[in-house]
Amino acid sequence: MNAAKDIIECVGSIQPLPDTALKLMNVMSDPKSKLEDIVSAIKYDQAVTSEVLKLCNSAFFGLSREVTSLEDALKCLGTAKVLQMVMSIHTNNMLAREQKGYGLDPGILWKHSVAVALASSQFAQKLRLADTNLAFTAGLLHDIGKVILNEHVAEEFVEIVRLVTDEQMAFVEAERQVLGFSHEEVGAMIAEKWKLPVPIVQCIRYHHTPSELEPLSPLVDAIYLANTVCLLLGIGIGADGLCSRADPSVLERHGLRESDLEIIGVQVVVELRRVQSMFGDTSATDHEDE
Amino acid sequence: MDRVVDIADLKVVKDPGATLVTYSLGSCIGVAIWDPVNLVGGMLHYMLPESSISPEKAKANPAMFADTGIPTLFRSVYKIGAQKSNLVVKIAGGAHLLDDNGTFNIGKRNYVTLRKLFWKNKVMIDAEQVGGSISRTVRLNVGTGRFTIHSRGKETEL
Repeated sequence: MNAAKDIIECVGSIQPLPDTALKLMNVMSDPKSKLEDIVSAIKYDQAVTSEVLKLCNSAFFGLSREVTSLEDALKCLGTAKVLQMVMSIHTNNMLAREQKGYGLDPGILWKHSVAVALASSQFAQKLRLADTNLAFTAGLLHDIGKVILNEHVAEEFVEIVRLVTDEQMAFVEAERQVLGFSHEEVGAMIAEKWKLPVPIVQCIRYHHTPSELEPLSPLVDAIYLANTVCLLLGIGIGADGLCSRADPSVLERHGLRESDLEIIGVQVVVELRRVQSMFGDTSATDHEDE
Repeated sequence: MDRVVDIADLKVVKDPGATLVTYSLGSCIGVAIWDPVNLVGGMLHYMLPESSISPEKAKANPAMFADTGIPTLFRSVYKIGAQKSNLVVKIAGGAHLLDDNGTFNIGKRNYVTLRKLFWKNKVMIDAEQVGGSISRTVRLNVGTGRFTIHSRGKETEL
């Protein structure tokens, strides 16, 4: 099976994450970070700075005066919003492409990723985790492995779908059987190569299988629940559909009920619409799994 | 022309040239109703069964929930000239995760709520494709009543 070897080579040659994103993630995972630390992580990246200012001044926020600097943006909108915005800008480039193997048209994986990011930060709040920004980023990157595997699933796709359809296999199990790796595992390899914080690597690695991680991590559980809600609601899903295993023990260990999922689902759909309009993106809703 | 019905959205139209389409139904349900005499069509893509979990969201957007969206869909097609006795009703969606324990069963509850509402209001379903673990895109051609489901690259007509 050459696919596994190809995949490892592909991970080896993936472009590095921009410095700004890395710096930001380190700032975000340090609870002692101050406003200045965040500004200095972004300000040398002209493209991102101008994009942040453009988005801040968009009709979406309806601010009464013009935002002219990063400091201004952070004060007006709060650090959380700006951090989320910067991460979304960075990942847009990687995730917005068509993922043909997964049956995802351009923009759809990004839409799914943003929805999971929004839901992740909601679940992080619900589980009273300290860092909702970290959850947002982990949610945004959870499916990054699909970007690499996509190049390999085109041919093997038929067999993956057969296993999923005929043998009731979960999509990640079928990926592993046919390609040697699941998109969770490939995503974690990419995240390690990018030297992302360990909690983010764990979220990517276990977002379909949170109970396999030892010791258990509430952050991983939050990302699992967020992804589950988005799959159920069909937000940005492709040929893998809903072929992910339900893990009710996640609900049990946090004392959650299904109605908690529903309430967060409703909020996510409303927020997602706002984010899409902020990025001027309405097309992404128009071209899903066919 | 394609008229897109978003998630938590409904559209009605009296235009034989129009096709109503909703993308990527997971556990959500797409309800398509069509009056072949008056050439009126309507489509709803609702997310959840009961509006009681968030009455204020239901007020702002009745199409989110079965119990508020379905009555609104029917009322809206009547307003533009459809007759209840003519209506052809087709539904799709209500998928679920791979799940032996029946948790995360939004799809099933979405379906049960719809059946109860239809039963109470004496609405018959002409065709349906619900359940499974696939994502579905559905289209209703308002001119011909053709109702198709796309999933994993295949099209089926109901």
